[in-house]
Amino acid sequence: MNTRRRELLKGTGIAISAAALGTSIPFWRNIPSGWIPAAHAESGALMNKEGLRLLSDRPVCAETQAHMLDDAVTPTCRHFIRNNGTPPRQVDPRSWTLAIDGLVKTPRSFSIAQLRSEFEVVRQALVIECAGNGRAQFEPPTRGNQWTYGAVACSRWTGIRLSDVLRSVGIGSQAVYTAHYGSDTHLSGDPARHPISRGIPISKAMDGSVLIAFEQNDAPLHPMQGAPLRLVVPGWPGSCSHKWLTRIWVRDQTHDGAKMTGESYRIPKYPVAPGQKLEDEELQIIERMPVKSLITHPSNGVDFEARDIQVRGHAWSGERSIERVDLSYDFGVTWHRANLRDPENPGAWQGFQRDLHLPSQGYYEIWACATDSAGEMQPHAISWNQKGYLNNSMHRVAVRVA
Amino acid sequence: MGLLGIAISFVLLAQEPETPPATTPQPATFGVLHDAQGVAETFAFCTPCHSEKIVAQQGLKRDDWDELFDYMEDEHGMAPISEPIRTRILDYLAAHYGPDRPHFSD
Repeated sequence: MNTRRRELLKGTGIAISAAALGTSIPFWRNIPSGWIPAAHAESGALMNKEGLRLLSDRPVCAETQAHMLDDAVTPTCRHFIRNNGTPPRQVDPRSWTLAIDGLVKTPRSFSIAQLRSEFEVVRQALVIECAGNGRAQFEPPTRGNQWTYGAVACSRWTGIRLSDVLRSVGIGSQAVYTAHYGSDTHLSGDPARHPISRGIPISKAMDGSVLIAFEQNDAPLHPMQGAPLRLVVPGWPGSCSHKWLTRIWVRDQTHDGAKMTGESYRIPKYPVAPGQKLEDEELQIIERMPVKSLITHPSNGVDFEARDIQVRGHAWSGERSIERVDLSYDFGVTWHRANLRDPENPGAWQGFQRDLHLPSQGYYEIWACATDSAGEMQPHAISWNQKGYLNNSMHRVAVRVA
Repeated sequence: MGLLGIAISFVLLAQEPETPPATTPQPATFGVLHDAQGVAETFAFCTPCHSEKIVAQQGLKRDDWDELFDYMEDEHGMAPISEPIRTRILDYLAAHYGPDRPHFSD
């Protein structure tokens, strides 16, 4: 697309936005492509959301700019959205039920009120990250939404432990895997198809870390975040954290529902060269997510007058804590250890911060490298895989000093 | 509205870039897809289920696009696309949404 044509298209989109707002946008030339005016947050897919970049409107997929993830606890309005199907239009929390069946001694259907009253209610800050976060940097490109950095968040989720619920119904000795179902519908409209139905090993389901959540940041769930009931499986691919949850089926085999098989949420069993594709049998299901960090301040491409800057961000590693975060402003020649906060609870990300003095004018890149409690560090390069998962390479932000 | 109509709309918009019209304009027929031969077929066969914004994010080799058609048929219930339309769509996607990403905005 030539520049003129791109400008024209951009103009058209903004014209539509302006028409919907019933006014003109004085600085519309400055709006990045894909940006949703905050006023549009009043209706539609990005209701009550702000500053999300829309990747797709059907299904709704939207990510948050890195610098908008600066809060220790991610506000609901800045939590990314990754839908696979069409969300339910109207939900009634009072009549909503969750069925637990399959290899359990006493299959049961719970109302949300029953879940609240029968089990201990807990509130935890938990990281949810899309397994495809960072796919946009894969070379050669891989198929799927081209997430950059912002398909990750750490909100406070209130709910009950999945392990408590499973223990109450009694898990059969043959149980191997859970299978999750929700009330969203397949994009084709075919009622026989599920948009997504993934699961987790019973050992993970019983480890006490997985929540069945009914609140985010002390408010009822947002419609795009799975209202009124969802799973939160911290530190595992976001797709395990099933939204609009209606059923958990306990199975005697690894679940084979939609997006559990083939290439979905699977990576090669051994390292491959970029572009090298393996057969399905040589792929394995992604479990915990790797160590990663995000610089939330400064934002990429900022100009500074002063040479003293503060760098801030978060670091996380599935099922582990962060041991240290190091920063570099000279392309990795020297490293400076950042101050690191303890997590609010296991499963939460950890804030880091450090003041850096940049020695002269010029162009700098701030790099962040986290090391987790198992001693694993973030790599420089992407470990390429055919579906573009698990890009945990170091985040770099450009800074210019006058 | 044909391609010519869209082109005219763009020209009209381009004349007054600072104040976009307050009336409801017609959305572009093929959304964010690059306007070239095959765009109409591509839009028509891909967007009954999902946004063309997903198509426009991709950068795949011709073989991978071909495989993706099979995936859509096998996994998502897409009706097989008959010739010559299938080849026309493949030509379009391979030319404009290949690994070199000529139309990728990010």
